[in-house]
Order: sequence, then structure tokens, then C-alpha cells
Amino acid sequence: MNAPKRDGHLDGHLPPEHPLSPHAKYRDLPPVGRLLSNYAVRDLWDTDFARLPWPLARQRRRARDFAERHMAPIADALDLAPHLAPGECHPDARALLREAGRQGWLSYFLPRPLGSMPWSTLAYPAIWQCSVIVEEFSRSCGGLMLLLSAHHLGAMPLLLAGNARQLLVDLPSVYRRCERGDPHLMAFAITEPGAGSDAEDGHGAATYRPGVVATPTAGGWLLNGRKCYISGGDLATSVTVFAALQGEGMESWTCFHVDAATPGFRGARTERKMGMRASGAAELEFVDVFVPHARVVGALRQGWAINRATLNASRIPVAAMGVGLARAATEAALDFARRYTLGGKPLVHYQEVQLQLATMVAETRAIRALVWQEARHAWRPRQLHASLAKFHATDVAQRVCEMAMDLVADHGVLHEQRVEKIFRDVRLTRIFEGTNQVNRLSLVEDWQGQLLDADHSMGV
Amino acid sequence: MIIGHDDTQLMLAEVGRFARERVATAAARPERPMGDDQLATLSSEAQALGVLPSLGDEGCALWEHPANAASMAFSIGALRHIGHANAGVAFAWHRTALAHRLATHLGITHHASGALDLALAPTGHYGLARTSLAHWLRRAPSDAAPAGADDARLMADWLDRQSCATTVIAPRAWNTLLWPAWHEGRFAWRLVDREQLDAPQCRAQHGLDELAAFTVRDVAPASVALPHDDATALHALAHALALDWLGLLAIAVGALERGQQMAVAFAAMRQQGGVLIARHPAVQRMLSDIDGARRQADLALASFGAAIDDIDLGAVASARATLHPMLCDAANQVVQVHGGIGYMSDAGPEKILRDLNVLKLQGGGVLAAHAFVAGWAEVFA
Repeated sequence: MNAPKRDGHLDGHLPPEHPLSPHAKYRDLPPVGRLLSNYAVRDLWDTDFARLPWPLARQRRRARDFAERHMAPIADALDLAPHLAPGECHPDARALLREAGRQGWLSYFLPRPLGSMPWSTLAYPAIWQCSVIVEEFSRSCGGLMLLLSAHHLGAMPLLLAGNARQLLVDLPSVYRRCERGDPHLMAFAITEPGAGSDAEDGHGAATYRPGVVATPTAGGWLLNGRKCYISGGDLATSVTVFAALQGEGMESWTCFHVDAATPGFRGARTERKMGMRASGAAELEFVDVFVPHARVVGALRQGWAINRATLNASRIPVAAMGVGLARAATEAALDFARRYTLGGKPLVHYQEVQLQLATMVAETRAIRALVWQEARHAWRPRQLHASLAKFHATDVAQRVCEMAMDLVADHGVLHEQRVEKIFRDVRLTRIFEGTNQVNRLSLVEDWQGQLLDADHSMGV
Repeated sequence: MIIGHDDTQLMLAEVGRFARERVATAAARPERPMGDDQLATLSSEAQALGVLPSLGDEGCALWEHPANAASMAFSIGALRHIGHANAGVAFAWHRTALAHRLATHLGITHHASGALDLALAPTGHYGLARTSLAHWLRRAPSDAAPAGADDARLMADWLDRQSCATTVIAPRAWNTLLWPAWHEGRFAWRLVDREQLDAPQCRAQHGLDELAAFTVRDVAPASVALPHDDATALHALAHALALDWLGLLAIAVGALERGQQMAVAFAAMRQQGGVLIARHPAVQRMLSDIDGARRQADLALASFGAAIDDIDLGAVASARATLHPMLCDAANQVVQVHGGIGYMSDAGPEKILRDLNVLKLQGGGVLAAHAFVAGWAEVFA
């Protein structure tokens, strides 16, 4: 039942004008006291907005406006749409991709004129900008966020390891097509049917027998094998594919920038997923796919390092996905608690509801603080920091979503209440880019030099 | 018909076989929920088997004899078996059987045309009316003291079936709904035909894909005389809540056990780092968490295999508040053990997780269960 508009105060709390309310009484403090105390009635989003450097704050507002205008209105339709065959794209998703491209959301990792990054943001790590944007997009729809973000993951190897031509010609040409509204999407292909975590963990990779193999041929390489769970892989115009060299193990992994129009490349199937349904996860098949030497990214046998560096760059934005989804769940629960009445008053008047909401807000802001702390210094993202942010933020985010569902109670199972979709979306963030168990071990792997040095004390 | 312990074991073996051979087979493709016709066919078979009650026939169907400890153990065990095969089917049968039991107990006449004709909404429109429902139920029927004004006001709102829509999950084919309502200043049970209700079907709900969700509201105040007195109505409500919560728990444990079997099998087959993942402590910890949650819930269920009047409603609410979140955590671990495969609809674990989430949120949800426990104990009243 919808609540009527009420003034005054919440049950169990004093009204702001009450003599014992600090809201009123702080105004009577001496000037220094007023300077050092704060009871401003300010939206929490705006509070954090003011704490960002202005170029990133501007991007944050732009991203929120874009997400609210173009993503939120189509989120439900794409979540409930029938499953699509490989290569098919829902018309609303296609339109969103075109608009996102035109507005620069598919090209913001390079500054103008190569990409769309405002020069003012160059003073800050690109990972920070990306995290701020990803939070806003995730808040509107996890699936549509992934549809847009998987492209950046695919382009990351070119940014991290591309030669001058790849960085100054190939990637900008990808970006220009996006900005013209004819998106050239990229995808990142590491996972193979026989191994999920082996592609994300060094210890696992040491014993894994690669499933996609590159065989030398005149002028380049022939790729054979299959990759699975590749976000956006069937819609991509080109894919960064990691393959072992013939007769060698994972240490020979090499990154190839594969044109999806090359004969032998095929999106074999797309998965039916629990959530993030607006973004497809494809199985890709390679049958003698020719890749010229010029499209090797970095050098031969540098693939493993490029893969790990890419994951270090992407795991902080994945943590930001958790923040965005936790925020969406918290906002949905807040909306419900303010609107829905029991016993003649909105739920928000009840203490048990206030406790639940307070915890959700605190958890959401705590993981945002973690993400921003790590992103702020992510000029060269360290594995330990990236993995820590990823597993902790996404674990907490799911707990927040569960709290939201519990608060909405019987109604929480309804799609119309939004939180059940948010739960289905957030569940993926604890699995992809390395399960959260693998990310915990990844933290330790990065730390082992110190851990093994028993002669020196360690700080945390 | 009164049954003994030996009868229970034999009957459970039969239900287990039926669940494996008929229900699990029909639900073998988790990404393709069974259709209405298949659910109706299985329900007719369950009726013929005696698991679901039939009009006019006394037997040993689910919840038919809650005053008998062996019958209670049978109902809990049967729902666990069916939940193992498919939580949606188990939920449908649990609620319809409970509705039949309540209608019989209350002396309400109904004319079911199909096995799943009768739906049940045992709670009000949100949660469990904070502590008020517990206070209301704690009052002895002979208690001369009037209920507190706050409790009365909250109960009246909680059971206001006209102003507030109640979420009901049921087979799409339901025709009649049994629910508690506020009627002329007192609490009562009502049996309402679907055409007398505003009951639009919602978009796909979070889980129990075999069923559908409806937001239901009465279009007009009840005008029929009710055949039961206050004490009977309240007694029935206490029974309804206890049996509903036990049923939800039993279905959840059965579904989790299936998830546990899937996780163990996957861990014994999948390799990472050159060894089976079952040998990785990270996976062992998750498998241990799953096992621990399932065992704790099983122990709790076993303790409730008693005559309904010997079961403390607060204890059931407490078990529910504690165990359902634990079971959902365990279902999450089932997904996590599977990694990416666990997230895919055709694998099964993600559906088990969604189903367990729905079971947690039914019957008022677990957040409200904490307030109910406090109200029941009267510690803070």
C-alpha cells in the first residue's frame, strides 16, 4: 500500500526542531563550533560527488544521467526477453550501443582525439574514471552495464601491450567507429571449456593443457579450439584471444587480436544465464582462424603477463559493479520502506527496518570507499589490491542485496520490486574475473615474497 | 487414519520413489520449467498415490493428521523428498494440502475441481505484523483481557485484504483461495473464488519457475457468515503458520540436498591446478558449509516430528529465522563450487539458489520471523 506524504519525524526519533535535536541546536554554537560540526541535510550521492575531483565528478554525473535516460527504461525488457541465438542483438540493446558509442562511453580509455576521455581526467587513473562510470551503469542495470563494459575488457590488452600501430591506429579506429554510432565491439577471450580458474590463477595454469592452440603458418598463425563464457563474444567485431603456441604449455600463451569476420571464427552458442541477461555469454569456436603477425598483441609468449595485467586493471571496476548493484538494492529497499505502509504508517518508521537500511547504507558506502581508495592509486594496479577489492566488494554487495530482499519480504520475489533482478545480477560478480576464492589466493600469490621473508615483520 | 512409525518409513520410501521417478524426471531440464499440464498430471498421480488429499476420502495425505506425530514426520519427510526432486512442485503440493487441512478443520466447504484448485495465503500482506501476531496468538482463547490496541490495529491492517495486495505464489490454475482476513472487527478465515478477487499475474518471479506469482486483493468486503468462532480461527492460524514454516523448511532442505549432491559430484570430477577441486581447501570449506547447513536443518526438522499441539510455534519461527538464511548461504556455495557453470540456467545450481531464496521469503519472510520470536517469547513485550 502506498504511503501518503508525511511531515515531522520518524517514530523513535526527535523532530529536527526539538530542543534536544542537534539539527537545531548546532546552529547556536559559536562560529568555530559551527565550522567543526555538520548536520547538513544533503543527499549521500551528492556528498560523495563533492568528494571526487571535479573531472571525475562530472563524468559521474554524465554517467548517471545516461544510465537513467537510456539504460534503466529498457532494463526490464531485456532481462525478460527470450534467449537470443549467437550473433543476434535485441533492438533496444542495439540502439543503446549506438547511443553509448556516440556519447563516448565505448571509447573513454584514450584521450581525444584518439578516444573520448576528457583531457581533464588524465590527471587521474583511468581505472578510477572507469570505476565511477561502472557503478552508475550497474545501478541502472547489471546486464546492460556488462554489455558496455565487456568491450573495454576486450580492448585492454591493446592498451596495456599494443605496439605503436595497435595503440595509435587500430584502437582509435575501433573507438572512432563507436563514436560514429556504428559500434565496433571488442571482447576478451581467456576462459576455456576445460578450465575456468586455470586461466586466472598461475598455480592452475602451470599444469593446465591449453585448449586453444596457435599453429604457425605463412604470414601468421592459425587458431584452433574453443573459448567459453565470453561476455559479448558473439557480438564483437574483434576479439583479443589468448592461445598457446603449438607444442608448448601455458607459458607460451600469446594474445591475438582476431577479426571476427575471419573464416573459421564462429559464435557457437550463447548461454542461458541466471542474471545479467542483457549481455550474452558466448562460446567461441576457432577452426583454422588465420591471424596475421601484425595482430599479435605484445610479443609471442607474453600472453600470460598481459592476461594478468588486464585482470588487475579490470578487477577494481568489477568491485565497482558490486557497489552499483548494492546501491541499486539499497535504493530499491529505501523506496519500498518509504512507500509501503503497515499499521497505518510507512515501514521506515519501524526500528527493525531502520536497522536494516542503516546497515545496507553503511555496507554500500564502505565498499565504495574501498573501491575509490584502490582506484585512486591504480596508475599501475597491483594484483593484491585489485583482487582484494574485487572479492570483498562483491561478497558484501551480495549480502546487501539479500538484506534488501529480506526487507521487501514476500514481495521481494516479484520482478516488479527490482531487488530479485539485482540479486541475480550481483551473483555473477562473485564468479567472473576469477571466482572470489581464486581472488583470495591471488592476493596471497602477490604477497608471498613478504610472507616467506620471516626475518621482517609485516604491515597490513 | 492413524499411522505408526513403520508405516511412515514405508510410505516415505514410496514417496521417495515417486519423487525420483516421476517428479525429478519431469523436472530434469532446469532451464525449461514444467508446464501447467505436466504439473496437473503429476498432481493427479500424487492424489492417486495419496500424497495429495482428495475430497471426501480420508487418508494419510500431506498435513492430513497433524495431531499424529508419525503423520507429521511423514509430511515433513515427504516434502523433503519432493523438494529434492523439484521445489516448485513441492511448494504447490504443500500449500494446497495445507489449505485442504485447514478448510476441513474450520468446517469450510469447498468443491475442488482439480488437485491444485485450492490455493493458500497463510499470512497477511507484509511480514508477520511485527510482534502483534505473536501477541495475538499467545493469548489463550479464554483470556479475558482484551488485546492491546496497537496489536489490534496492526492485525486489522495486516489482514486488510481490500486495501493491501498480498503476494501469492501458486499454480496458474488455482480457482479458490483460503486466507485469514479481518472480518467485521474480528479475525476469521475466508475461502474466496478467484473471480471475486483482483488477482493479476505478475511477471516471472524470482524462483519456483513451475508456478506463478499473483498480487491478490479482495474486491468487496466479505458478507458471508463464517462457520467458526474466534478461538477456532486463531487455533487454525497457529497451526497454519507452524505447518507452513515446517513445510517450507523441509522443501528447502530437500532442494539443498540435491544441490549438495551436485556440488560433491562436480568437485569429484572437475580439475583445477592439475588436481580435483575436491582436494582444494577452498572447495572443501564450501562443501563443509553446505553439509553443515543441511545437517543442522535436518536435526531441527527431526525435532519437529511431533504432534502439532506439542510443537512450540516460537521454536518453529526461531528455527526458520536461523536456518533459512543458512540454507540460502549453502545454496550459494553450491553455485560457487561450480564456478561459471553454476550460473548457467541449464546446469541446475542457480535454480536451486533462486528456489531457496523464494522459500526464505514466503510465510512472512525471515526478517519478520525475528520480531515474531521476540513477541512470542514476550521477553520484550
